Amino acid sequence: MKAAIFDYVRPRDLAEAARLLADAKGGAKLLAGGQSLGPMLNLRLARPRLLVDVARLGELRGIEARDSAWRIGGGVTHAQIEDAAGRLPGAEVLCAVAAGIAYRAVRNRGTIGGSLAHADPAADWPLALAALGADIEICGISGARTVAADRFMKGAFTVDLAEDEVVAAVSVPKLSGGARWGYYKFCRKTGEFPEASAAALFDAERRSARVFIGALSGAPQRIPALAAAIAERGAAACTREATEAAVTAAAPDLDVIDRRMHAAVLLRALQQVVRA
Amino acid sequence: MTPIAMNVNGQRVEALVEPRTHLADFLREHCRLTGTHLGCEHGVCGACTVLIDGAPARSCIAFAVACDGFDIRTIEGFDDDAIMQQMREAFSREHGLQCGFCTPGMLIAARDLVLRLPAADERRIRVEMSGNLCRCTGYVGIVNAIRSVVEARRAPGETGAPEPPPATTPAAASFATFAPTPSAASAAAATAAPAATLAKQGWTRFEESFVVKRPPAEVWRIFADLPAVAACLPGTQLGEHDECTVRGKMTVKLGPIVAGFAGSATIERDEATMTGVIRGAGADSGTGTRTKGEVTYRLSPGDGGAATRVTVVAEYSLQGTLAQFSRSSIAQDLGKRLVGEFAANLNARLGAVGAAPPPAAPASLDAGRLLWAWLKDRLRRLVGR
Repeated sequence: MKAAIFDYVRPRDLAEAARLLADAKGGAKLLAGGQSLGPMLNLRLARPRLLVDVARLGELRGIEARDSAWRIGGGVTHAQIEDAAGRLPGAEVLCAVAAGIAYRAVRNRGTIGGSLAHADPAADWPLALAALGADIEICGISGARTVAADRFMKGAFTVDLAEDEVVAAVSVPKLSGGARWGYYKFCRKTGEFPEASAAALFDAERRSARVFIGALSGAPQRIPALAAAIAERGAAACTREATEAAVTAAAPDLDVIDRRMHAAVLLRALQQVVRA
Repeated sequence: MTPIAMNVNGQRVEALVEPRTHLADFLREHCRLTGTHLGCEHGVCGACTVLIDGAPARSCIAFAVACDGFDIRTIEGFDDDAIMQQMREAFSREHGLQCGFCTPGMLIAARDLVLRLPAADERRIRVEMSGNLCRCTGYVGIVNAIRSVVEARRAPGETGAPEPPPATTPAAASFATFAPTPSAASAAAATAAPAATLAKQGWTRFEESFVVKRPPAEVWRIFADLPAVAACLPGTQLGEHDECTVRGKMTVKLGPIVAGFAGSATIERDEATMTGVIRGAGADSGTGTRTKGEVTYRLSPGDGGAATRVTVVAEYSLQGTLAQFSRSSIAQDLGKRLVGEFAANLNARLGAVGAAPPPAAPASLDAGRLLWAWLKDRLRRLVGR
């Protein structure tokens, strides 16, 4: 399987990338790690006229500590985040999530910004960053803007991104020392896209209780009532019945098998949080 | 053609390449390094794994033009490598291969594992190697071979402590309860019961309804106005039409995929029951997908006759490349978005009070969920289930 013909350009900076995307009027695709786009090109499901390769842009590559957040460049690879274990105080969860994405050969090239912009419903970053309350920094020809991660994804493969816009970075709030988080996904084969996934963050200092389920038909869904109940009552609120009810409310269209699977996965993520 | 230069196994290679040439083809056909094998050619099987700037990567989904200036190391470039020497011997000794097709990728991934995870136990080895598929060995020999190299490289007396599992929450105190800040965005009012979906064999069906803030008689007239209806349907281009037949094209955007279905339909309308039936068929030449289907709409008065409830039932089948996604939940996702956008556009067109302004360009319907399911399914079939 060989890709259909396309042109290729490697812009010098983000501004040039945005301009190239705008000039192509929808005929261009941004190429970062290419771990999702590459297969689609080879299968000729995607036939862009132009690939704009931003994989090497220094502007997208940094991991920086800010006062209360970590700023991860959109072009940082999953492997770089995985290998930062022990060096991201307050964002250890990112390293654990990154380590569970696909396979090392994929993580070496796939990027956090690419994963967010691609918006596969079963991908890890849209779910994890929604639960963490991250912000997404977007850069386009008319300037920069910021969108909350839990509002960025509009549906399957659909995000709040104009043709000329690029995910420049994500800003992940540092968790306080006592924060607890849980992350669980069920894959039929290690490294494959999950059938169900769930992420939970409980940070008492910031009074933050955020629980999301992923691998649905569209964007990750928030589970607010159960999150509040667990924050207030702990393990007592973390039951199979409660997760089944929460999944039914958040995703009423699931069939009985999917509902069970999502409820079990949510329960396991929450058990990571409340276990002694 | 684009000029590129890269280091392949320590030797500088310069060439003119088409941007669409992937790295594996470049290595095999330009450099004549045929040790890099192509299995699935879309990043699933791992047979084509090479080192790009020292890190394992799939060479079938990396484009040669994007590797301009990089150091590439293929299986032919490890003759003098001590770990690879050990690994080759271990694979032979432990029967880590039969046909040998996956072996170049296996060896490169295994060498990287040994370097990164010197304390890996069997479970970790299996997890780490899960991105490389072998259809002969059942993996037992491969895992044994890698384990023997890991153990041989361990200092005498050193125990094979497994890698710590991925960090979870620091095992500090037990969970302390707290009163959370109420979340501003309470869960979307997702209370609607799923529509019953009883479709013909191999067909998908969905039912959706929406309200137009105009009386039924006016909406009924608008529905007869095909250019007006088409203008409200995202991605639709109307062709030749009369009262009961129509030709046209509908573009559906699936993430990076754009499929344009060209086709024709017949329309039957029954004024007494305010019901219409549209039957049609179309094909997308780009993806080689054919579709046929039937859409029924029914208008009923709402809000004391000032508004109209429109109920839409759609049933369709797909054949061809994109056909794998005909699961009902996917159709619902697609249908809801399509009907939702149609309703918003229609309300905007009718100038209904409180309606959202019309979107700038209803270019096409984004139905990425279909693609997602399709890829998942394909991936699954590829790994043999």
